[in-house]
Amino acid sequence: MNFELIENKRIGEKYYKLHHKSGLTIIVYPKEGFNSTYAQIGTNFGSINNHFITNGREIKVPDGTAHYLEHKLFESEEGDAFTQYAKTGALANAYTSFEKTCYLFSCTEKFRESLEILLDLVQSPYFTPETVAKEQGIIGQEIKMYDDSPDWRVMMNLQQAMYHNNPINIDIAGTVETIAEITPEILYECYNSYYNLNNMVMCIAGNVSPDEVLEIADRKLKDNSPFNTESIFPEEPYEVKSNYTEQRLPVAVPMFCLGFKEKADNKNTVSLKESICTDILLEAFANESSSLYRKLLDKKLINSTFGASYLGGLGYRAVVFEGETHSPSEVAEFIRNEVIELKKNGISPEDFEIAKRSLYGRTVSVFDSPSAIAANVISLEFLGNTIFDMLEETANITLENVNERLKDQLDPDNYSLSVIKGIDD
Amino acid sequence: MYEFTRKTICDGVSFGSIKDSRFKRSRINATLVTPLDKKTAAANALLSCVLTRSCKKYPDFTSLNRKLNELYGAALYPSVQRFGDFQTVTISVSGLDDRYALNGESISSEITDLLCSIIFEPNITDGCFSDNDVEQERRQLIENIDAEFNDKRTYAINRCIENMCRDELFSIGKYGSREDVIALTQENIYKAWKNLLENSRVELYMLGNNSPDKALDEFTKYFGGKSRKISGTTKIISEVGEVKRIIETEEIVQSKLVMGFRSAAPSDIRGRIANSLMSAILGGSPTSKLFMNVREKQSLCYYCASRVDNQKGIMLIDSGVETKNIDKAENAITEQLNSLMHGNITDEEFDSAKKVLKNIYISTLDNLGAMQSWYISGVLGSCLTAPVEEAEIVDEITKDEVIGYANELKLDTVFSLIGN
Repeated sequence: MNFELIENKRIGEKYYKLHHKSGLTIIVYPKEGFNSTYAQIGTNFGSINNHFITNGREIKVPDGTAHYLEHKLFESEEGDAFTQYAKTGALANAYTSFEKTCYLFSCTEKFRESLEILLDLVQSPYFTPETVAKEQGIIGQEIKMYDDSPDWRVMMNLQQAMYHNNPINIDIAGTVETIAEITPEILYECYNSYYNLNNMVMCIAGNVSPDEVLEIADRKLKDNSPFNTESIFPEEPYEVKSNYTEQRLPVAVPMFCLGFKEKADNKNTVSLKESICTDILLEAFANESSSLYRKLLDKKLINSTFGASYLGGLGYRAVVFEGETHSPSEVAEFIRNEVIELKKNGISPEDFEIAKRSLYGRTVSVFDSPSAIAANVISLEFLGNTIFDMLEETANITLENVNERLKDQLDPDNYSLSVIKGIDD
Repeated sequence: MYEFTRKTICDGVSFGSIKDSRFKRSRINATLVTPLDKKTAAANALLSCVLTRSCKKYPDFTSLNRKLNELYGAALYPSVQRFGDFQTVTISVSGLDDRYALNGESISSEITDLLCSIIFEPNITDGCFSDNDVEQERRQLIENIDAEFNDKRTYAINRCIENMCRDELFSIGKYGSREDVIALTQENIYKAWKNLLENSRVELYMLGNNSPDKALDEFTKYFGGKSRKISGTTKIISEVGEVKRIIETEEIVQSKLVMGFRSAAPSDIRGRIANSLMSAILGGSPTSKLFMNVREKQSLCYYCASRVDNQKGIMLIDSGVETKNIDKAENAITEQLNSLMHGNITDEEFDSAKKVLKNIYISTLDNLGAMQSWYISGVLGSCLTAPVEEAEIVDEITKDEVIGYANELKLDTVFSLIGN
C-alpha cells in the first residue's frame, strides 16, 4: 500500500494520505524541523449520534453515552492507557464534541511506542460493571463543573431554546441521572456501531515520516467489516422553540448568546464553501473592524469578549453572537436591527475584501501548529474535504458567493436569546 | 533550527531575536517590567488597553482594526501579568510572514511600524489620551476584573493567593483593584506611559523568519542612550504560622478546594527544574500521584492538580469536589503529599514525570508564542537557558533532590468555596 502525496504550491505545504486496508484513513503530515509529534484519531461519533440503526436493529442510548465511552476506552484488560503513556512521556488526552470523539497524544520521544498505545486504546474496549461504576463519580464531577460554568450554560441553554428535537440540545456529558443508566452493554453497542475504522480518521503531524506510521499501522490495525450504522435524527421545525431563556448563576457580569436559526436538513451537513462564506460574512459584519462592533462598543453594550460564530451540522444550523453585557435584551435588539439592514444591503466590496484577507491570514496560520493541522484534517476528512481545500476555497471566495449565502442566513425573526444573570440581578 | 541572539540597547533595555524559518507567522513584542505597586498597577493595566485601542496614525478603534485586517488578520493585543513581585506589560503584534501575502506586500515591515506607533506615538493631545478611549477601556477593564468571578476555578485560586499573600505585594491583582481602576485620572495614565517608557526594564523580542534589523534600528532610535536601573526583588516567605483556613459560600453545585503552600524558590536553574519535577510527580500530569489516586482510585474529582511558582516560592493544589467530600479530598491530597515527602517515588513515577517535563520543554520549540514566553521568563528570572539545555538537566536530577524540595513545602492557606 502506498501513500498518496498531496501538495499545495500556494504556501509550500505537503502531506501523505492513505486509505489503509483495515479501513482507516491515515494522514501523515511531516513538518520539517519540528521537534514534537502530534497524533489524533477520531471517530465520526459524537453526542448527537444517540439514535441509530446498526445491522438492522434500532437503538437509542442515554444522554452522555459517547462521552462516557471516551472515558472508559482508556481502560483495557491490561490496565489503563495513562499508565502505559507514562512509560513514553507522551501527553495524552481525549475529547467528545457534538459530532466526533477524538483521542490524541503529543510527544518528543518514543513516538512509535505511543502510537502503538493509541491504536491499542481505540481497538480494545473493555467494560465491566465495576469499571463503568467507578467512572460515575469522576464524570459526575465533570458534569457539575460544567453546571457551574456560565460560558457553557449560556451556550447549552441557547441550543435548548432554538431546537425542539435535534440532539444538539442535549448536553454532551449528559446529566448525573442519565449517566446512571449507562451499562457495559450500551457502551459495547456504541463501540461496535461507530468505532469502525471505516468511520475513523487518523492524522499525525510534526516530526514523523509516512514509513514509520505504515509499519505500525500494518502491524496494529485489525481489518474491519464495512461500516453499517445509520444515525437517525428527528425532524426539526424551522422555527425556534422559544425566543428567550434565562438562568441565574453567581456571575458578576451577565452573559448572552443570541442565535439565528436557519434551514437545516438531516441529510446534508454544512459544506466547506458554506462555512467559509459564513466565516467571511461574520468577519465583515461583527469583528472588531465592523460598524456593528463599534456601535455596540460606543453604546457600552459589549466588551472584548464579544464575538460571532457558526454552529452547523446535520439538522442544526445557526449563527451565534455571544459576549458579556449588562443589557442583554438591548444588545439582542440592536443586533437584530443591524441584521435587517445587512439583509437589505449585503456586504460591501470593501468590507468583503478586508474580511477575506483577515480570514485567509488566519487560515494560513493553522499550518504553523501540528495540533491545529490534525484537528482540522480530521473534521474536514469527515466532510470529504482536505485541509488544502480550506485554504483554496478561502482564497477563491467571491463577494457574490457571500451575499448569496446571506440569503439563507440570519433570519431576523427566527432567533433565540439566552441570558445568564447574576443571582441578585 | 532557530538562531537566538540578544543585544543590549542600553542598560535595562534589550532586544532579542529568534530567527526561525519554519513558521508562516512572525511576531514582535515589547515587554515593560516594573515592580508591583498598588499605586501604579491599575494605571499600567489601563494604559496597555488604551495604547492598543488607537494611535496617532490610526486614531480610532475601527481604523486601527481595519488596518490589522488588511494586514491579513494581524493580531495586536496587550497582556498584563504578574511575575514574582513584578508587573509585566506586554504589547504584541503578530502577522503573516511576507512570503504568504497574496499580493506581495511587506507585512513584517508594517507590523514593526505598527508596534512602534502604538508604543511611542499614542493618541495624545496636551498630555491627555482620548477621553472616549479611556472611558471605553476603563469600563471594559472593570468588567474584565468583575468577570474573574465568573469562572469559579480561577476565582478560587485568586482568592487563595490574595489571602495567603495578604501582606505582600504579590496579593496585588495583575490589573490592580476595581476601585483603583475607577479612580484613575488622565494624569495617572499619562504618567504611567512616561514612567514605563523611561524607567521600566524593557525586553523587546522579534520572532519568526523576518530580519530583525529594521526592528532593532527602530527601537535603538527610541531607547538608545536612555539607560535605566531596575530596583526591587521578589519577597520570599519560607516560614508559616498556623494554617489560615478561609471558607466562602456561593450558589454553586461543585465546591472548590485550593491549598496554598510555601515552597522553595531556588535561584539556580537546576534547583528550579528539580522543584518543577517535584510538582510534576505530585500533580502535573495524568500519571501524577494526585490524578492517579484522588481521581482514578477514589473517584473524588474530575481534576486535581498542582503547580509551582519558582519565582515567588509558592505551590498551589486545586480540585473541584462534592461539598460533602471536601475534607476527604483534603485528606487524600495530604496523604499523597506526605507519601512524596517520605520519599515514596517509584522509578516509574520518577521516569514518567521526567519524560513529561522534557516533552513540555522541547515542545516549546515548535510554537513561537511559547518560545517568546520561555525566553522572557528566562531573562526576568535571571536563568536564560535554552529548552534543550533544560531538558538535559532534567535527566540529571536525582530523587533525593526532588524529595528535598517536597520537604520544603509548608501548608500556609486552605481556601474553600462551598456550594450552598
